[in-house]
Amino acid sequence: MGKIVELLVALEDEQLIEAVKEDLKAGVAPAKILADCQAGMVAIGEEFSQERMFVSDLMMASAIFKDVSELLLPYLSAADAGEGLGKVVVGTVRDDIHDIGKDIVVNMLQAANFEVIDLGVDVPPADFVKALQENNANVLALSCLLASCYTSILDTVEALKAAGIRDQVNVIIGGGPVDEHVVAYSGADAFGADAQAAVNYCKEVLA
Amino acid sequence: MMMYNETYDQRYQKVQEAIAFKNKYVVSTYMGQSVPPTYTDGITLAEYMEDHDRGLQCFLDFMDRLNSEAPIDCINFAYPGGHQGALTLAWLSKINMPGKELPEDAVWQVDERKRLEDGDYDLIIEAGGLGPIYDRLLPQLIDQESLNRFFKFYGEDFDAVMMKYVEAGYPVLNSGIVCPPFETLCGGRSVNVFFMDCYKQIGKVKETQDVMMSGLLEQIKAIDKKDYLIGRWIGHWRGASNMINQKIWDTLVWPYSKKLAFALLDQGVTPIMHLDSSWDRDLERFKELPYQKCILNTDGMTDLRKARKVLGDHVALMGDVPSQMLTVSSPAEIKDYVRRLLDDIGPQGVFITAGCDAPSCSKYENLVAIHEVAQEF
Repeated sequence: MGKIVELLVALEDEQLIEAVKEDLKAGVAPAKILADCQAGMVAIGEEFSQERMFVSDLMMASAIFKDVSELLLPYLSAADAGEGLGKVVVGTVRDDIHDIGKDIVVNMLQAANFEVIDLGVDVPPADFVKALQENNANVLALSCLLASCYTSILDTVEALKAAGIRDQVNVIIGGGPVDEHVVAYSGADAFGADAQAAVNYCKEVLA
Repeated sequence: MMMYNETYDQRYQKVQEAIAFKNKYVVSTYMGQSVPPTYTDGITLAEYMEDHDRGLQCFLDFMDRLNSEAPIDCINFAYPGGHQGALTLAWLSKINMPGKELPEDAVWQVDERKRLEDGDYDLIIEAGGLGPIYDRLLPQLIDQESLNRFFKFYGEDFDAVMMKYVEAGYPVLNSGIVCPPFETLCGGRSVNVFFMDCYKQIGKVKETQDVMMSGLLEQIKAIDKKDYLIGRWIGHWRGASNMINQKIWDTLVWPYSKKLAFALLDQGVTPIMHLDSSWDRDLERFKELPYQKCILNTDGMTDLRKARKVLGDHVALMGDVPSQMLTVSSPAEIKDYVRRLLDDIGPQGVFITAGCDAPSCSKYENLVAIHEVAQEF
């Protein structure tokens, strides 16, 4: 495990930033540093799956990753950034304003090199359809923290059908009161118990 | 010796026996703060929340209706009077309410944002409490009338309110929320910022929590212990084991929860550890609480079978039919869930109820199913 990966997994933000600056000064390719950070995020995802890291660790790691990405951005060319793994439209469903879980998923997806179109909270079904069509995206990740908003998930899936794009879009749902029962109720394709599960799902369906 | 009335006293006895693992049958417990207006004609959720007299009556009528279908032994969290004030103070957040920011029948939602500034830890420490924070934030978060209604409900009206449950024969387990400092700061800073604080300035957060604890402990000491007062929730939402890494949990969550539990017990009040999300990692720690004096109230995400295995007869368990099942599953599925659970963990020291809180859109027949199947155990 390289130093960059090690520091990120240890959540040593200040030391990591220093190490990145030193690497840049020493002429290490920015794309290599970014790739190391992405490898660190993959390792953190693994630790999370093994219950050796927890939600707060994911949030801290995402914040550090964001800081390093911002630091590297001026040095990266479009080619350095590489081909993303795919596009994912994300949002919290209509009538639900909770954004914390959604934001963790957005950060983890970005760190895993997905292009994320984040529509925010309280998103009407038609807006999800529009974003999927405009961005030619094949994955829709819906966040829902309220049992009273299951109908919003259902309506969003129905809106995809009405727009004729249901077959092209993989729908994953997540949030505290969401499980396989809600998948069955709403007609979604899967549920993610946590942010890492969402990342794994996106990798699976966009691979 | 008769305490209040025969029905109440019998049920109260059953509750106390369950806490001490002396109950023969499972305790059938109602939980569903926002459900009653869904199944009552002529009252919206907004009216139910706003008009305490009508709201409380609606709640009690709903209890009677359910009880006529299948017996209810007690209530976990009763009519949520003054709820906007309670939640605002607990989480230092704006609570969007039905009929105000939300449609008439939409359940309340927390609008969590960073409202505590970077220097506010020092401000709390220097002031010796949240006084200046309340002065600055409360006018932004809640109107004075709603806040007054909260103080009135839990102040001058409280005794009369609780006696309504007594007269109706329903012991109420939770008579108020104790919010640990971790949860209050998390709401006020917003979770994204607060969790970063926990890594980058854990000492400062701890110092702030210590100051806030003094105030909480004083409030607990001032509890006027009436016979009907059974327990209080110690609320755990963001401090769950699956949310927080071990060091932060060991430093900022558990020591405070434990201390609050002991303080409540000193007043003769049963600590009800209300646990959102999964606490599987740290179940062993609940053995540090006094033997057969506390209740763990889970939401379906903590593994109650594991809890029983780890904790044995140390603490009573309350849970945990998941809210999603109450909304989308059938009564047969609910019964199957409850039967499997009770077959595995047994009825002793168990309060069977909805996990966390039954949502307002719970199917009526699913709520009945919980209490019906409880009779088998």
